[in-house]
Amino acid sequence: MTRKEASSTGGAKKQVTVTINGKKYPADEGEILLGVAVREKIAIPHLCYEPSLDPYGACRLCMVEVIKDGKREMTTSCTLRAAEGLEVVTDTPAIVKYRNVLFELYLAEAPKSEVIKEMAARYGVTKTRFLKKLDTTDSLGNKCVLCGLCVRACNEIMGAGAIGFVNRGPYTVVNTPYFEPTKDCFGCGACAKVCPTKAVEFEDRGSERVMTSWSGTKVPLARCDCCGGYYAPKALAISTLAHITPSLREEIAALCPVCRGRRIARDEILAGRGGGAGSHG
Amino acid sequence: MKIGSAADLEAVRQAGMQKLRPGKPRIAVGLATCGIAVGGNRVYERLREIIERDGLDIVLTKTGCIGYCKEEPLVNISIPNKPLVILHKVTEADVEEIVKQVSRGKVPADKALCRVPSWDHVTGCTLEYGKGFSKIPLYEKVPFFKAQKKVILRDAGLINPEDIDEYIAVGGYAAALKALTGMDPETIIKEVENSGLRGRGGAGFPTGQKWRITRDAKADKKYILCNADEGDPGAYMNRNEMESDPHMLIEGMIIGAFAMGAAKGFIFIRAEYPLAIKRLKLAIGQAREYGLLGSNIFGTGFSFDIGIATGAGAFVCGESTALVASIEGRTGRPHPRPPRLTDIGGGLFGYPTDLNNVETWCNVPVIMANGSDWYSRIGAEGNTGTKVFSLVGKVDRVGLVEVPLGTTLHTIVSDIGNGGANNKKVKAVQTGGPSGGCIPLRLFETTVDYESLNRVGSIMGSGGIVVMDEDTDMVDIARYFINFATGESCGKCVPCREGLKHALLLLNRIMAKKGTKKDIETLALLSDTIVATSLCGLGQTAPNPVLTTLAYFREEYDALVKP
Repeated sequence: MTRKEASSTGGAKKQVTVTINGKKYPADEGEILLGVAVREKIAIPHLCYEPSLDPYGACRLCMVEVIKDGKREMTTSCTLRAAEGLEVVTDTPAIVKYRNVLFELYLAEAPKSEVIKEMAARYGVTKTRFLKKLDTTDSLGNKCVLCGLCVRACNEIMGAGAIGFVNRGPYTVVNTPYFEPTKDCFGCGACAKVCPTKAVEFEDRGSERVMTSWSGTKVPLARCDCCGGYYAPKALAISTLAHITPSLREEIAALCPVCRGRRIARDEILAGRGGGAGSHG
Repeated sequence: MKIGSAADLEAVRQAGMQKLRPGKPRIAVGLATCGIAVGGNRVYERLREIIERDGLDIVLTKTGCIGYCKEEPLVNISIPNKPLVILHKVTEADVEEIVKQVSRGKVPADKALCRVPSWDHVTGCTLEYGKGFSKIPLYEKVPFFKAQKKVILRDAGLINPEDIDEYIAVGGYAAALKALTGMDPETIIKEVENSGLRGRGGAGFPTGQKWRITRDAKADKKYILCNADEGDPGAYMNRNEMESDPHMLIEGMIIGAFAMGAAKGFIFIRAEYPLAIKRLKLAIGQAREYGLLGSNIFGTGFSFDIGIATGAGAFVCGESTALVASIEGRTGRPHPRPPRLTDIGGGLFGYPTDLNNVETWCNVPVIMANGSDWYSRIGAEGNTGTKVFSLVGKVDRVGLVEVPLGTTLHTIVSDIGNGGANNKKVKAVQTGGPSGGCIPLRLFETTVDYESLNRVGSIMGSGGIVVMDEDTDMVDIARYFINFATGESCGKCVPCREGLKHALLLLNRIMAKKGTKKDIETLALLSDTIVATSLCGLGQTAPNPVLTTLAYFREEYDALVKP
């Protein structure tokens, strides 16, 4: 049994009603409360939440107070699951007090992050009392808040395990093992995609994708047979092709999306069908 | 040979008794880590040399530690029909004289700490050593031992921890036999519940209730774990328990496994405890040979085995979810609870898992052997039983102290510990390690139990009591513990990773006399934030040393800062 199986409710989801700030909302039983709030457009700040991954609870910004039997308990809404009668409130004086300190800690930890500055400013925090961490050698440009999303996306979604946490406590950073270029990276860029502070960077230089944040890891790109342009990481292109039907595979192998589109259009015209939309769904 | 019945166990018991009382003089050197550190091994080697050289009919063996660390190396001498005599501060130079005296049926009186005419091993055996040596003080009269009650440390420093026969001789594994062959799991859990035993790792959760939750979890497989990742600065109770009497832990786990329906258990032990690991491995091997671990234990059809998992130096792996992650081979980082270990999907490899501290397990054979009524009469209401504390720091009598819960700090520090070392005045104690707090002298009438310590801002923790005297700078103490916690933070959540770091920077600034009153306020607010918002117990409790020193020794902070 995996953790994921155990944490999902399985089968048909029971509908429950949860109360947020005195208002009732429908939810699936066991659904992450932060997810409900996001859907209902109730503002709860968060950095480490990603619906496709297991609850993680690292950024501590999504604190809410659960009201139960007249008592209130502070907890993170990204680890809280919807149940019938669940009642929470956001932005209580205690939450605001502690969250503001957390924002100050983030401003000190990632002083170059515009996302953090904007988020903190939305909650009225524009300055930090704490010493700012400025490291000119930081490959993440002093923007990383160690939310762990890139590591988890790389490990749990892509199954690559190219990056991980290095060191412990305040010395923790994210990078490749031993800060060396790694062959485990597909160059998929999922890390950059999920990064809430836009700290992860990579760029395509000629025939290579250079993962500038990850110790200069270089990933070869696939070249289009038609136009000669480089369009996707080679390893990713090969592994993606393996998942599709053989006839389609032959058709799209070695072509970039633009050239493939052109070929489809040409084939359609030659076949006299006029290349109508949807014929190649 | 396999022990399959009461008769088999009795046969081994008698053989073991032959080793404990061989009918000739027996010298046992205290060789736990503490004894070895002050030269116990050299004393042992010298004894071996001389006994061999002179061809003397004296049995030489090792034993664990009886807890009086200040007086080590300790050497026990038992001469037939005479009281057991404990010698203290023994050096290689004393050995020649000791052997000479022993071979004449005497002991060197000037080296004697105390005599033990008879010893109650608690689980069903009172060993009568004999009479005589009336000039040597009785064990009960030694101030360090007088207020103590040995239940967990019942065999420590008296039996050879590397010999299962000696453990069986003093009543060992009889409780497991009784539980497995005479009780059903429900009765065992009822007994543990009725005993009032609470988790000795520090949280104080009722053990019986945890066992019941694990038993009731619907899964085809369950695990039990022992938390031996003892890492609080100044705390070494568990180390001594494992080094001096490893079988009591194994016996406790066998009973627990039977009650909860687990076929496999693991002891998660820190790699920094090599001797404890060695003795546990030896003990597990011996228990397997006797069929006390393995399949069909006592012919009941019940099977159970124990594996050892060693830590890799991270303090945070004492946290339950990080501990499980570490055993599974993942990075030791906590994850939010629920799911708890006892939940389906939350425990080891996803199966419901019970995790108890070393000392919690060690209580189990006692409860089974003597019954919950007997056990619950020890200690205080809601805080039954005894607890082992390591009394360290600037205290005169350093050592391991076992007292009933509900004993006052005054009794522990002043009566047992004899106050400050070098006649200095005691100022405060720190209980519960980096998660605990500093308690000032004026609160020393506080009883040591889970709730009372919480009320004064500290915690029981695993049992470290660090004494501070008039020379101790309390701000520096707070800084020391924050520095420790910062280095041990796993780095997952921001209040612990970043918050503790900035608390340390603020404390450094205050200590350097560069701080302001505002810095103290920021430090207090930051500490509250870390407590309120951290993911796991490490962060939630790490600011306690700051918060308690701010509450009780604010003047020391104020003296260091500009207005």
